[in-house]
Amino acid sequence: MKILSVDDSRTIRLIVGRALRPYDCTLCEASNGEEGLAAAAREKPDLILLDVTMPVMDGVTMLTKLKENPELKTIPVIMLTAESGRENVLHIAKLGVRDYLVKPFKEDQLLEKAGRIIKLQKKDAVPAAPAAPTPQ
Amino acid sequence: MNPKTAPVDIREFLNKHLAEVFETMLSQTARPAAGPPPRLSERVTGSVGFGGEHINGALYLHLSAAFARQMTASMLGLPLEETPGESEINDVIGELTNMLAGGLKSSFCDAGAPCAVSTPAIIRGSSFQVETVPNVSQEVLVFDCGPNRFAVEVHVRLD
Repeated sequence: MKILSVDDSRTIRLIVGRALRPYDCTLCEASNGEEGLAAAAREKPDLILLDVTMPVMDGVTMLTKLKENPELKTIPVIMLTAESGRENVLHIAKLGVRDYLVKPFKEDQLLEKAGRIIKLQKKDAVPAAPAAPTPQ
Repeated sequence: MNPKTAPVDIREFLNKHLAEVFETMLSQTARPAAGPPPRLSERVTGSVGFGGEHINGALYLHLSAAFARQMTASMLGLPLEETPGESEINDVIGELTNMLAGGLKSSFCDAGAPCAVSTPAIIRGSSFQVETVPNVSQEVLVFDCGPNRFAVEVHVRLD
């Protein structure tokens, strides 16, 4: 699994990385929407975690451009926003996000939301062995 | 909306929202405190502006440099012996200021005063203060987090 974290705050990217460290997934990072679009085209992630307020290109603009691109528009996006008001939530819902997470958030909340969209498997998890045939 | 009335009770909102931000991101308890804002010698101030058709202003988070370092180490999960660098402190304090301002902005929007927020900026120093201009109302909220006293200042102009 590949996850792209787009946030101008290194702190948030670090928290995302820390939350995902125990899981078998690759994390890519970008610090604004413009870099995020390029990274999405290059990496084809399974999930994008996208901040709203960023310099250069904000998250709403990046999401709009993502949805206009036939190759990228199916990548699921979780918006990370410090703005929890119903106006803001309705606005980003209309843009086609799969979910949103309001800052401040706990790492568990991030994992729960991401886990609903992609399969997060712990690094040390041993795949379940096939069931032994039942003796006849 | 009445253009001369603040759309939300800023003090009531921030007392609750700041406690939530500190608890969630830092696992620390911050409580509203009585008395004047602290006189900080070496200070780190995070600021985020907000602006819309009927409302403009900014939110400032004033911290001592020592408390800012401590908060950064806590949020980044740094070991005790590691001192965070200036850019790490700026990023953490900027993000915390962004969370406080984002919540306030949302409450303004929901109360009928839509606005947008800026990206955070950091001011450092020992001898500066934020001046208000005419027609701007100012709220200063003081908090205690353990032994650390800090302040949040909100400037609002309603048109």
